[in-house]
Amino acid sequence: MSEEKLFEIIARVFNISIEQINDQSNSETIDSWDSFTVYILLDEIELAYNVSITTEESFEIKKVNDIKNILKEKRVNFA
Amino acid sequence: MEIKKLSYYINQEKIIKSKNYGKKIRIAFLGSFTLNGFEETIQVQCNQEKINCITYNAPYNQFNEEILNENSDLYKFKPDIIFLLIDDRTILDKLFYFPYEYSEEDRRKFAEEKYYELENLIKIITEKIQSKLVITNFVIPTYSPFGIFESKMEFGLKDIILHINKKLKELSKNQDSVYLYDFNSFVTKHGERNVLEYKKMFLGDIKISFDIIPYLIYEFVGYLKPILGLNKKCIVLDLDNTLWGGIVGEDGIEGIKLGPDPAGRPFIEFQKVIKSLLKSGIILAINSKNNSKDAMKVIKEHPHMILKEDDFACLKINWNDKIANMRDISNELNIGSDSMVFFDDDPVNRELIKISMPEIKTIDLPKDPSSYALILRGLNDFNVLKITDDDFKRAKMYRQEYDRHVFESTTKNLEEYLKKLDIKVKIRLADKFSIPRISQLSLKTNQFNLTTKRYQEEEIKKFVKDDKMIVGCAEVEDKFGESGITNMFIIKKNNEEWILDTFLLSCRIIGRGIEEGILSKIIEIGKKEGIKKIKAQFIPTEKNKPAENFLSDFGFQKEEEDWVFLLQNSIKIPTHLSVKFE
Repeated sequence: MSEEKLFEIIARVFNISIEQINDQSNSETIDSWDSFTVYILLDEIELAYNVSITTEESFEIKKVNDIKNILKEKRVNFA
Repeated sequence: MEIKKLSYYINQEKIIKSKNYGKKIRIAFLGSFTLNGFEETIQVQCNQEKINCITYNAPYNQFNEEILNENSDLYKFKPDIIFLLIDDRTILDKLFYFPYEYSEEDRRKFAEEKYYELENLIKIITEKIQSKLVITNFVIPTYSPFGIFESKMEFGLKDIILHINKKLKELSKNQDSVYLYDFNSFVTKHGERNVLEYKKMFLGDIKISFDIIPYLIYEFVGYLKPILGLNKKCIVLDLDNTLWGGIVGEDGIEGIKLGPDPAGRPFIEFQKVIKSLLKSGIILAINSKNNSKDAMKVIKEHPHMILKEDDFACLKINWNDKIANMRDISNELNIGSDSMVFFDDDPVNRELIKISMPEIKTIDLPKDPSSYALILRGLNDFNVLKITDDDFKRAKMYRQEYDRHVFESTTKNLEEYLKKLDIKVKIRLADKFSIPRISQLSLKTNQFNLTTKRYQEEEIKKFVKDDKMIVGCAEVEDKFGESGITNMFIIKKNNEEWILDTFLLSCRIIGRGIEEGILSKIIEIGKKEGIKKIKAQFIPTEKNKPAENFLSDFGFQKEEEDWVFLLQNSIKIPTHLSVKFE
């Protein structure tokens, strides 16, 4: 699984271009990032990677890198 | 319409550029839980249906405050329609978890109290906000702490919900502007475990999961269509592989698939669903490339045909192209092609109609006929806000219209035809029996409509009570049968002047001098009452061309914006019909 796939999902959900996304992207740098759209994002990620993100894990998400870390713990490999 | 994921709608909403479609509606959402995403989804779905909508989502769980406080943003928003969603946990409160901590008597009392709270909110909405209301009913709980013993409890947990739902249904039955949406059935259809995700509920009080929201909105759009007169009136059907399996020209009447066997059942089911829509007032027509003789033999003689010859208001079975047939159906039935839904198994035919007549709703049928019925049932285009007696008669009346056409083609000239029709027109003032139909005509009639003013039933009722106004309607009958109430008019009295606020004619009776007959009768009555002049207007729309020359042909003179008829002038009364005022 590549980083690009994750960024594609993020770009689609937040309706921004993929170039605007990096590991440090967060609600400050992405306008449409709010508590509600993040839930939609998690929904899409769960489906795409066939994983389940717990409630507690979702609280830790402050920036894109946090999502990556959660996925890494679930053995998603960002080669 | 294909239903997409919620994120699609949220993104699309930002980029849609709506044109001015001429159909506008203000929609408010009120709920006891998070309704984020509702606005975006309905915006996008409305845009797909060519509806301009303005939306308002009340603050989270503030439905009580928004309704009770007359200074709230909800009042300022002035909605045309409110969708109110309250969930079981909110209404049942402690009883959701601990119903049996309370005595049976207390449970009954509780259910009554909760209902009255809702009734009060509904009353305020109808009286003060004067908006239409769609309230969702409650979901019958699938869990009880008493488990299998729940069914033995007197007025148990489920009974509380059933009781409130029943009372809400009673109320909506008696209130024209209130509709109860069967959310419980919606949850049954999609499955409770899919609708309510506990994780989302804990995270953000999201009680309808993201991918289900667009399906619910689709159901809600089903209310907007009839309010805006966008509901469909006619189903146009292909025959081979649509109403039956196989090709009658090749397989013969014995070889086609239609009957109580696995290959034939899907078509029986599809025909039954079509028939049920026919019974509720939808018109049926056939547009098929076929040998008429072969196809008619099936329609007339096949033992398993559910739909009979008389069920179709118009049958175009020939080798003409489908577009020409479609236009003929529209002309002969006097139904705008934008009121039609088209079913055809052949993708080429569908594409042809989609491209050349995009206003027709062409349904993409899958290869496998087993889902035909399901697809038809899933459409939200046939909803009506009111079913009147005329709706039940409609299919029959259109069939008579078809017979009239056949009669016309065998008669020498128009004059002779009209005389032989033996038309009788009865004009009456509006009463409680005709008001629903009068409002329905004002909402639906596009073609022969001078001003295209839309009036809901409540408004018509007000006009009827107003002694400075006259609301009337006319029933038409001829040798082929009754057409029911097919004209309505509204007059505003201004001393010695009458202003024709509304004058319309259902399109299926245009062109027989009926409009002249009715107007001349109105003028005759005005004359008796000492009226000196009648003022009227023609407000052009995209569709009311058929009414464009009516006033000038009748003898009205243009005076600035208005058309004026002076009652000292002689009145042109058509002689081929009888018009009575009752």
